[in-house]
Amino acid sequence: MSDAFAPKMLAFLCNWCSYAGADLAGVSRFQYPPTIRVLRTMCSGRVDPLHMIEGLKSGFDGVLVFGCHIGDCHYIDGNYFTMTRVAVVRRLLEVSGVGSERLQLRWVSAAEGQIFAEYVKELSATVEALGPFEHERYAFELAAIEHALETPRLRWLTGMERQLTAHENVFHERLDSEQYKRVLMDAVEMEYHKSAILQALKKGPLVVREMASITKIPVQTVAQRVEDLEKSGRIDFCGYDGTAPRFMSAAA
Amino acid sequence: MKTDATAQPGTGAVMVVGGGIAGAQAALDLAGSGFYVYLVEKSPSIGGVMAQLDKTFPTNDCSMCILSPKLVECGRHLNIKLITMADVQAIEGDAGAFTVTVRERPRYVDMEKCIACGVCAEKCPKKVEDAFNQGLGPRKAAYVLYPQAVPLKYVIDEENCIYFQKGKCRACEKFCPAGAVDFNQKEKVHKLDVGSVILAPGFKPFDPGMYDVYGYGVHKNVITSMEFERILSPSGPYQGHMVRPSDKGECRKIAWLQCVGSRDMQLGAHEYCSGVCCTYAIKQAVIAREHAKGEVDASIFYMDMRTYGKDFERYRNRAEGENGVRFIRSRVHSIETAAPGSDDLKIEYMDADGNMQNEVFDLVVLSVGLEAPADMADLAARLDVRLNGSGFAETSAFAPAATSRPGIFACGAFTGPCDIPSSVMGASAASNACAVLLSGARGKLTHEKTYPPEAPVAGDAPRIGVFVCHCGVNIGSVVDVPSVRDYAKGLPGVAYVADNMFTCSQDTQKLIREAIAEHKLNRVVVAACTPRTHEPLFQETIREAGLNGYLFEMANIRDHDSWVHQSEPEKATAKAKDLVRMAVAKVALLEPVAKMRAELDHSAMVVGGGVAGMVAALGLADQGFKTHLIERTDRLGGSALNIRRSWNGEDAQAYVKGLCDRVAAHPEIEVHTGAKITSVAGSVGHFTTVVESVGGAKELEHGLAIIATGAKAYEPTEYLYGKSPLVTRWHGVEDLLESDPRRVDAMQAAAFIQCVGSREPERPYCSKVCCTASVRQAILLKERKPEMDVYILYRDLRTYGLREELYTQARRLGVMFVRFPDNEKPVVESISENGRERLAITVKDHVLGAPVRLTVDLLNLATAIVPEGAKELAQLFKVPLNDDGFFLEAHMKLRPVDFATDGVFVCGLAHYPKPLEEAISQAQAAAARAAAILARPYIEVEPIVSTINSDLCTGCGLCEKSCPYGAIRRREVIGRGWVAETVTALCKGCGVCAAACPQRAIDIVHFRNDQLMVAIRAGGAATPS
Repeated sequence: MSDAFAPKMLAFLCNWCSYAGADLAGVSRFQYPPTIRVLRTMCSGRVDPLHMIEGLKSGFDGVLVFGCHIGDCHYIDGNYFTMTRVAVVRRLLEVSGVGSERLQLRWVSAAEGQIFAEYVKELSATVEALGPFEHERYAFELAAIEHALETPRLRWLTGMERQLTAHENVFHERLDSEQYKRVLMDAVEMEYHKSAILQALKKGPLVVREMASITKIPVQTVAQRVEDLEKSGRIDFCGYDGTAPRFMSAAA
Repeated sequence: MKTDATAQPGTGAVMVVGGGIAGAQAALDLAGSGFYVYLVEKSPSIGGVMAQLDKTFPTNDCSMCILSPKLVECGRHLNIKLITMADVQAIEGDAGAFTVTVRERPRYVDMEKCIACGVCAEKCPKKVEDAFNQGLGPRKAAYVLYPQAVPLKYVIDEENCIYFQKGKCRACEKFCPAGAVDFNQKEKVHKLDVGSVILAPGFKPFDPGMYDVYGYGVHKNVITSMEFERILSPSGPYQGHMVRPSDKGECRKIAWLQCVGSRDMQLGAHEYCSGVCCTYAIKQAVIAREHAKGEVDASIFYMDMRTYGKDFERYRNRAEGENGVRFIRSRVHSIETAAPGSDDLKIEYMDADGNMQNEVFDLVVLSVGLEAPADMADLAARLDVRLNGSGFAETSAFAPAATSRPGIFACGAFTGPCDIPSSVMGASAASNACAVLLSGARGKLTHEKTYPPEAPVAGDAPRIGVFVCHCGVNIGSVVDVPSVRDYAKGLPGVAYVADNMFTCSQDTQKLIREAIAEHKLNRVVVAACTPRTHEPLFQETIREAGLNGYLFEMANIRDHDSWVHQSEPEKATAKAKDLVRMAVAKVALLEPVAKMRAELDHSAMVVGGGVAGMVAALGLADQGFKTHLIERTDRLGGSALNIRRSWNGEDAQAYVKGLCDRVAAHPEIEVHTGAKITSVAGSVGHFTTVVESVGGAKELEHGLAIIATGAKAYEPTEYLYGKSPLVTRWHGVEDLLESDPRRVDAMQAAAFIQCVGSREPERPYCSKVCCTASVRQAILLKERKPEMDVYILYRDLRTYGLREELYTQARRLGVMFVRFPDNEKPVVESISENGRERLAITVKDHVLGAPVRLTVDLLNLATAIVPEGAKELAQLFKVPLNDDGFFLEAHMKLRPVDFATDGVFVCGLAHYPKPLEEAISQAQAAAARAAAILARPYIEVEPIVSTINSDLCTGCGLCEKSCPYGAIRRREVIGRGWVAETVTALCKGCGVCAAACPQRAIDIVHFRNDQLMVAIRAGGAATPS
């Protein structure tokens, strides 16, 4: 609690509820620490997972996403998408070792000035306890996360959650929400691994053990992902290092 | 109310007399719905009393901050002509075709030439008491009313000017750089043709000089609440330092004395309750504590705490609990000097237990009431408008905006003491009445706004202007504004920077326009307050300077910074710099966006067929707008079917019946009874709503909606309700008097218990109308049988406003009022006396301090008014509810019938408990606000929509599935498969599709990916020290 470190956090506020709630906190003079820098969007559903990661890449110690309460969204259900996206990015932060606590999601209504102030206090303390975020140290992981978030697979799975679990698929079936979440989270992990390997290969050809050491992913897992990547033509075999096969990025 | 408007279209202009908040609102409503408005103000600038207030309850909004945009809008509106320093002399003619004689006094300053530089005031040698500052400080004889005044033009005060009094001086004329001073100006008389007139002359704060006990005018540190407002105000006589007049010493102990000039039968005082003083005293006490960072004792001496409005009770509870304001129920006996030679004051008072006490304070604030201005009687007589016994306009509960003279309407405090939201509602209600009267003449005298052609900016390097606002001391006292301004100067693309005292004031708007021209700015950033209230104002300003309105960005350094980091000025300044840097980065990438038009279905839907719903429907249908009226039950009338008379004794049943008949017969109203809304699609301009009734489901198309679904009385479980036939609720007594008066004759005693279910932890609000209802019924009992014992058991008696006369009458008739403590509720038992059931009520009496036992034959409970069916409707229309389950309006003070969502409005009990006359007024107000949309040929749509890059699109369809509005559809393109397209009219710009698109082929206009990314990167960069 010394004044040595005060976090700086990016706060996405949706125009209709949370921004209004933050305004109300101001009008009511509810004091909170000067830790957030606000970016207003019309809906929290505008916030792309890549925007959240950009926050961490740019020097913020944490990223907060605020939206309307579920059911209150000015755009009907934009915040459901936000919920899934934040869960996906948090999972990526977790598997990459960056730590999921640096991304937080909270619901604040236009009438909840005090609650907004309380959340900022709470989350400032959370991020303060984590200490400054050294984004250069995590440059590799952040690049891999970003790559994973750009993959059509993750974007599709993230975007379709609402359609498939609340509405229906093309066979008029509604999927079980918990089951879908498991599928999604497994995909997140897998895409991160693949992205991390591709990221590692950017600097030149590597053997599996080297990839594992750079990506901090277990050798066994790397070997499996390398097989996937080779099958899908993303990486190519390019010779041996002793008995170990060496791979290079297909694009390179 | 409707006259023969179709036969005679009348004159399409309206005169509004009085430029306070009520007059300004009425002018804006009318000008916005196709009528030309003359706004006549007697002082040199508009703004009225609200401009003198520091903050407003119960949100503690800065008064000037929320008022200023409205005043500026009045000042710049093409269809509002301000005539200041003017009085109405006479009104000739009849409703629809009046000729008004207006006398305009000379200002001695040419408004065309004056640049408001202030040199005249600086050079003027004559100092006089500044009435705007309640005489607490001086001003010059050449002066401007207040710094944010509209119009911001100086004036020479003839009565005090040395030249006018002694024939020599003319310093102002000599030094005026613009040559604007003109001592030869003469009085002008205007004869103006208008169709109707709205009187909004406002009120005068009561002058407490008549009371000996308070020593006002004797003790320097006894001041009025208006004086205290000016003391608190950053632009006030002490620059917002909370010091007392005698020695300018910091205040450490302040007392507020309630009911000064109100609820008092003495000659010169007023019998009525002024209705606003309790809550404004709480506000002042809370703000005082805040000002002094808790280092001040704030005590309120009161009789009954009348916090009856929406969120007022919570405000009071918070003041006591969190803010540490002391509430002392008492009668003040005297105020004297604490000791010889001391400026402190000793208050002697009798406490709630009847004991004499005394306490010393260093400042005493008299919570003075509201009264009709002295010249009002003359004006009313000249205009042939009748006043009531209290000096306010005589109106009917059922036509709260209509005066005794057809075609002349009234609003604001001229209709009786009222707060700002009531004034705003009353103003909109009056404008609705005018619009109904003059609907045939709509658009006949108005002009269209044209903007200069927009300068093309594509391809030009950004030249950004940054304007940093002090907001008086709101920002400037915490954030180092000049340092933020200087910092902005070094940011990429910034070509011009400035700091302004009030960036929203009219003169600063002019400065911004001039800076755009002079420095060839192509983008503007304003670092001030919230874009939610002020962005439209600034966008308009830059459009007037030939820039597209979307080349603009705000940095919220007040609501999100100075106000919430009051004790950390350095960090708040650093944050302000970050926010400005983000805004500058974003604005550099913003592009011009063309406004779009959407089709408008010129019809309305009103949900709820009670009085509020019916009045709203008629308010629109009488102007020729087709209206669907949806009623859940089989019958129109709602809660008013249970009301026999309004508080002032008018026949409610006859009124409701008349209303039902008119609605049923109206050619423009389609009534759907037994109907339930199951789905709502669309938005302002075009809604499609599915209504289910016995006949099946119907799809109705409408341009907007008014929610008037009402509320119901809480059904209590306490006090033997439902267990004993002697216990009734609400209108039970009236009903009994009607159905079985002989049973009443046989009774010996009756009692009322107040606040049943209201002001309780689970329902911490006051239901507002119950005190009046019980007092009125108690009077009926006493009138029927004077010897009957009638008791009212209450916590605070809240017969607010002119209703106080009922309380006086009840006491005169011998009704006994027993106040019980909050934590010691009365106990009711059923007993048998000579084989007859009676009720024994045990209650602690506040005078005796001991329990008393009352035996009665009837107990009527004033139970809480609770929301009904609001939750589902709120979700269907996507509008919010407050913590108590009532609909939450867009702004508590200035937008009392609007929702944040365009095209949806609220009125009646669905908004908050209120009496019939207020529900009617609010319904008319909702109709006025709705008509302002329907009166236009089309809807101007916010062009923030999605755009799809078809080269990147693979036609996967995720966007189509994600869009909640069906605003994206796929189209087959030969040789390419499917490509997605935005249906612009349906798109609301949420951005869900853009953040979902697997190919990242979708972007959102004005919130583009690259625009957000640069802002994020700018924010993340190191904060300057």
